[in-house]
Amino acid sequence: MNRAMNAKSARGVAALAALLALSACGNAPSRGDDPSLLNVARQTVAQVVARRGEPAEAAAPRDPAEMAATALSVNPGPLILVGLEGLGTTQVLAMTGQNGGMRTYMTPNEQAVILRGGMLVGTRGLGHDMSATEAGRSAALIRAGQSGQAQRTLRYYAADGRERPLPFTCRIGPGPKAGVMVESCEGNGVSFQNNYMVSGGAITVSRQWGGPGLGYLTIQTLRP
Amino acid sequence: MTRRPTLLRHLLTTALPASIVLCAGSGLAVAEPMIGRSFNNYGLPGAVDTPSAEMLPDAELTATAAKSELTERVGLVFQLAPRVTTALRYGKFDSTEERRGYVRDRSFDLRFQILDEAAGTWRPAVAVGIQDAIGTGFYSAEYIVATKTITPTLRASAGLGWGRLAQGGGIGSPFGDRPGPDTGTGGELNADTWFKGEVAPFASVAWAAGDKLTLVAEYSGDEYACETGDADTCARSVWLSDSDPLKNRINFGATYQLGQNYQVGAYVLGAKHVGVQFTLLTSPRRAAYPSGLEPAPAPVRPRPDRASDPDGWSGVWASDPTAQPAIQKALGDALADEGQRLESMVLTADRAEIRIRNERYIQQAEAVGRAARLMTRALPPSVETLVITSSEAGMPTSSVTLRRSDVERLENTEAGQIANAAALTDAAPRPAGLVPTPGEFPDLDWAIKPYLSTGLFDPDEPFRYEVGGEVTARYEIVPGLVLQGSLRQRAFGNAEQEAPGSYAVDEYLALSDDEITEQNNGVYRVRSDSRMYTGNDKLQVPRLTLNWYGRPTQTVYSRVTVGLLERMYGGASAELLWKPVNSQLALGAEINRVRKRDYRDAFELLDYEATTGLVTAYYEFGNGFRGSIGAGQYLAGDVGATVEVSREFANGWEVGAFVTKTDLSADEFGEGSFDKGVTISVPLSWGTGLPSLRTVGGTLSSLNRDGGQQVNVRGRLYETVRDSHSVRMYDGWGKFWR
Repeated sequence: MNRAMNAKSARGVAALAALLALSACGNAPSRGDDPSLLNVARQTVAQVVARRGEPAEAAAPRDPAEMAATALSVNPGPLILVGLEGLGTTQVLAMTGQNGGMRTYMTPNEQAVILRGGMLVGTRGLGHDMSATEAGRSAALIRAGQSGQAQRTLRYYAADGRERPLPFTCRIGPGPKAGVMVESCEGNGVSFQNNYMVSGGAITVSRQWGGPGLGYLTIQTLRP
Repeated sequence: MTRRPTLLRHLLTTALPASIVLCAGSGLAVAEPMIGRSFNNYGLPGAVDTPSAEMLPDAELTATAAKSELTERVGLVFQLAPRVTTALRYGKFDSTEERRGYVRDRSFDLRFQILDEAAGTWRPAVAVGIQDAIGTGFYSAEYIVATKTITPTLRASAGLGWGRLAQGGGIGSPFGDRPGPDTGTGGELNADTWFKGEVAPFASVAWAAGDKLTLVAEYSGDEYACETGDADTCARSVWLSDSDPLKNRINFGATYQLGQNYQVGAYVLGAKHVGVQFTLLTSPRRAAYPSGLEPAPAPVRPRPDRASDPDGWSGVWASDPTAQPAIQKALGDALADEGQRLESMVLTADRAEIRIRNERYIQQAEAVGRAARLMTRALPPSVETLVITSSEAGMPTSSVTLRRSDVERLENTEAGQIANAAALTDAAPRPAGLVPTPGEFPDLDWAIKPYLSTGLFDPDEPFRYEVGGEVTARYEIVPGLVLQGSLRQRAFGNAEQEAPGSYAVDEYLALSDDEITEQNNGVYRVRSDSRMYTGNDKLQVPRLTLNWYGRPTQTVYSRVTVGLLERMYGGASAELLWKPVNSQLALGAEINRVRKRDYRDAFELLDYEATTGLVTAYYEFGNGFRGSIGAGQYLAGDVGATVEVSREFANGWEVGAFVTKTDLSADEFGEGSFDKGVTISVPLSWGTGLPSLRTVGGTLSSLNRDGGQQVNVRGRLYETVRDSHSVRMYDGWGKFWR
């Protein structure tokens, strides 16, 4: 989930901008290297995978199990392992904030996945981010192992700069595998299916849809 | 404050269309008017020469180039509203009136869909259109057309055309004779010719032969009379050319969609001529990275409970004189990391106000949201009221007041919720206890970079450019008092120094101002000699000004700018703007006293002096539309009015048009009759996904004439102030938690 995640765009405008930006020099970008409150948070994260700003190529081919083991030994806080299916990348994210039941996990280069009780409720810095979703009803059914229906609105940052809602109707129920709950959602001619493995009332492993541009995320709790 | 509920309601009901999120082309049913799949050679939905009643998706912007043995055109098409398509094009055609034997002429089209197709019934979509509404009339035509979906892959259109569309196959003149085209200076509306003269039927079918390929066939009344030397039908003899005539009125074409952003096409006209076309499609509503790639914001840090931090909750920390400096330093550093500057801060036991200057995010709400998050991380628990004041050019322009408990409660929820809990007000002018952040001012920013300046659509030289190196610097002495400028050295390019009209450069330099005026229909050349300034190999100073911004009252802003205001004029400029934060109306007045700058020497001035002044009313209509109307005196001493209308998007895209009409007669003004143009502004962040306030774009204006010209002062107040005012702030509010 490093810069490689963003490397698929090379458009005319981008190229032009890069030309202008790269060839410029000056003092303007100098501010912001000082230690700061946010950097404190970031440094916590940075410990997870060696140095901050390590090139993506180095991280990508690493074995997820090895990555997880390293992360667990350096970082004492809550950790998750997130795979982005569309891009074939996997990274360890460390918790950088907790607000009630909501947790924000970040990669060293500050891309974030936001979970509420294990349910994906937002992403940041991935280019096709989900801004928010209210997943309370689904979450309750999933954790209780019960079947039922829920209305869910997933909200996205649209290209025109607005937050746009995508409403879905979801059916929740046990899947074919024991211990796995399935949430099947449909709306706007789009459908997706999330899978949650629940143990002890908590979602430990899941595969959840991040949105039209992002695809599925696999999320595994390394340390709760 | 009274506007807030309306604006909020608007913000909160930005319901769908889901297609905006789900990317066009994903095969979803969309509640938009009938959308065209392929473009005709005018760049609009249709067959080859004939139009259809189809529209483009709302806000779509396309650029088309078409070339055949008979024509050559480039143009822009913008879907101004769901049912209104507009087009601006430059066509090249022969003219015996010009030395060079041809003219590149602008034309403007409008298409309005009056009726949408009703699925499952007989009712087709119906549109009326006017082609070449204000140009010379070379492409002038009007039409009414109906389009019906026959099968999912087959659409048929039929209509009636006037003007160019009725050069052949006419069936009579229901509304009287068609007057000849404007043979004078052009540029006026050709309304007297609309729907006049012979009318002829036309028809077309379009078959989607696959996902990407569309085949079209049409029967068209456009016989290319002028291009093929048909003197009886050609509207003006000076346009006559001598290509081979078409063999019949049937045209065939094919278009192929390449990805989401390109379309290529080829066609055969009357079994005689072939042509090709290329279309580039873009839209403010499609981007490679809709949410942007900027790093995640800092998470909100909820306060510890009272028992675990009794001192923090009691507020006793506020009496410690070291508290505020430490907090201000930490918060300032954290904000700097996110592209914002903490200019100053008020901190008491239960309330904190920060004044921030956003230097990174186009949507001010994103800057405010990030600042709010950082405040929850930096401030002791007893601080419950958070005030985030936006500062633009040193002026506090608006304050967002939030309860810290709302920020904690609503983090990462739908943005409308925190909008409801926030208050947007005019900033307090000088709050008690305001402490400037040490080390922020004076502040110097500078950069060295290459520059490329271009000129397009010049009849003689379609693409002019100049490349060189540029140093820009901005020194802000205290907030609001700025010395700024740039230096340029040209390296190479094909833009040379040229005198206007038929003069050589030396001849023009030898003329006195009176002679220049006399030989230009009595109007001094205030802009039309702009090319005297190009091709300068000396060190150039495009701008060098001292700017002073102020805020005399809570709702009035002021600006004084002195120095080399722009490439052609130097002097002094003063402006006042009344703009309450929650008002959709703003009133401004500007007065400038300027001298014309020397063509070559950066610090020399010519003799021509002028006083210009404009009183302007600005209004934000909502839904992204805004307009302004201004009246006053322009550079040539002419008196008149300027009207501007534009459509803007929360992400920073803007497409607009303006016209200026002054008391100069069409003869005094010359070609084009009055000043008009189109402006497009595209944020770099939309293209790259990386946050930046920079935009690229420009103005496609009429030929540079001398009537209705203003001084190009940088940093006018309205643009400076409004990004943090209600309409723009709430339009962009969706990114509060981004």
